[in-house]
Amino acid sequence: MAWFTDRHYFLLAVTLYGASTLYSVFLWRKGFRRDDWVNYFLLAAGVALHTLAMTKRGLTLHSCPVNNLYEATTFLLWALGLACLVYSLLPRFKFLSAFTAPVLFTVGVFALMPSLDPPHGPQPEFSGALRSLHAATILQSYGAFGLAAVAAAMFLMQQHDLKFHKLRALLSFLPSIQRLELITLRLTIVGFALFTIGLVTGALLPRHTGQPYLSDPKVVWSALFWLVYLELIVARFFFGRSTRRFTIGVLVAFAALLLTFWVTNRYSGLHN
Amino acid sequence: MSVVVIGLSHRSAPVELRERFAFADESIPAALRSLRDRRLATEAVILSTCNRVELYAVTALPPDAAFAELKKFLVAHHAFDGALGDELYTYAEPHSLHHLFKVASGLDSMVIGETEIFGQLKDAYELAFAHQHTGARLNKAFQRAFNVAKHIRTKTNIQRGSVSVMSAAVELAEKIFTSLAEHEVLVIGAGETSEKTARALLSRGARGVVVTNRSPERATALAAALGGRAVPFEQWPEEFEHIDIAVSSTAAPVHILDRAKLEPLMRRRKNRPLLLIDIAVPRDIDPAVSALDNVYLYNVDDLQAIADDYLQLRLEEVARCEQIIAAKVAALLAHTSPRPSPLPAGGAEREKHSPPP
Repeated sequence: MAWFTDRHYFLLAVTLYGASTLYSVFLWRKGFRRDDWVNYFLLAAGVALHTLAMTKRGLTLHSCPVNNLYEATTFLLWALGLACLVYSLLPRFKFLSAFTAPVLFTVGVFALMPSLDPPHGPQPEFSGALRSLHAATILQSYGAFGLAAVAAAMFLMQQHDLKFHKLRALLSFLPSIQRLELITLRLTIVGFALFTIGLVTGALLPRHTGQPYLSDPKVVWSALFWLVYLELIVARFFFGRSTRRFTIGVLVAFAALLLTFWVTNRYSGLHN
Repeated sequence: MSVVVIGLSHRSAPVELRERFAFADESIPAALRSLRDRRLATEAVILSTCNRVELYAVTALPPDAAFAELKKFLVAHHAFDGALGDELYTYAEPHSLHHLFKVASGLDSMVIGETEIFGQLKDAYELAFAHQHTGARLNKAFQRAFNVAKHIRTKTNIQRGSVSVMSAAVELAEKIFTSLAEHEVLVIGAGETSEKTARALLSRGARGVVVTNRSPERATALAAALGGRAVPFEQWPEEFEHIDIAVSSTAAPVHILDRAKLEPLMRRRKNRPLLLIDIAVPRDIDPAVSALDNVYLYNVDDLQAIADDYLQLRLEEVARCEQIIAAKVAALLAHTSPRPSPLPAGGAEREKHSPPP
């Protein structure tokens, strides 16, 4: 079984995320009318295999597996999947998995591209608890932002259905829009707090002499997203920004984060 | 020995006839005793509600003879001297059991899928049981009917959703707000429908109610009846800061709330979600307000459309319920009788016995 690597476990996990995505389409077409555990268990099995893949890689490296783009992406997806499984246990939140599965599947397929996972050198150049803390908190914050975006998408769908008097709003086993807004807000705040810790710990990490920090594309990109999320939270709390605009902001911010994550990683001297 | 049913319901007889055949609760034990004393039945249950009067009996008589005797009993008991045609329906096994299961599940009710009949049937059975007018056959049949009704309630959508305007309004509120306990209701115009809607919201836990009306006396009276407070009609816009649900039903010929008026109110509310239920005709609230963020406006037609859609969904579930019932009746007969006869789904109505002459 030596040929069966951690990537194979991840491939199986992504396959289950794919099955969950297909089932999500079925649930969506049925209007989320039945209280359904099938999707939850598909996703739970996927997350279990995903955990196995990451553990195997971590044991091989003797450190938190966040050393290249493949590992960073799988860690992000794992944080998102795990948070989804926990939040899905809240009353009427079971269908969160139906909204999360497509993200896990599409990004998971992308992460499986071999070029994102080049062979490791003997040991990462800089290692230690602070580095692991930095990587873990940053990636967990992405997971929280991702789940906030999923809750925001559920909110926007429910709000649209209620505004336009669609029966689906009443028939679906989805939470009230007030609850969805609260979850979106809380997850955004949690994500922002983790992101802040991640950025602070990142600034404290050792660097090569003369290596630029403030002009590093990933640092600039992270600071930009930190400001974006700060603006979203401040505008919602202190300037009465409407729930709709806030949730759209959360959704757009995460989509932008996801789409630019790989580019900035690739061009960041600090992260290569 | 077989189970037979004779009766009349909202489907077969007008209310004038149903009320002539209705049994008062206190007269039922004596009527059951009389049935058994005359040897018309060895076991019997009488179900008497505003929508149906039915007599379930276990008899040794052949069905046609039993129906003729039971009809005579009903007519004599109520001293009915008019003519009876198809109003009185009769079912022999297995259709009698099929009918019982349908009644218990609310499939034969005026509002399909309603649950009140379940409790009424249970009360009727318990009354007969308490007076020892039931035995092995009816005990088993009724217990099975209650189980089938519960099964149908959990496995199908037959009881899902609101089929009245008031309950549709409540359901909407629960889709917007996490808990009604934190939200107050404003009733604008002390009409009957707005009162019913407010009562429905209060029964689901709404925090309180504020009533306003052009006539302050009516506002005060309704507020007292609902356990809320009354405010002068000129001051209702000020209440928007505290309330989250408004039910409007004034007789005003023009809109009393429009976008220009609501926009500053929403700012004062810090854009909290607001559910507006406009049940007035002509409408009290300008439809343009629904363009505002966090404002959810439903008028009486919207609510009626929801209720109609739900009813349609329930009707679509009937076929599934009929299949479940047919299977459960067959299973019951397999246990209690050596002659199980297959029952096609929905066949009971088609194979109804003709009323005895």
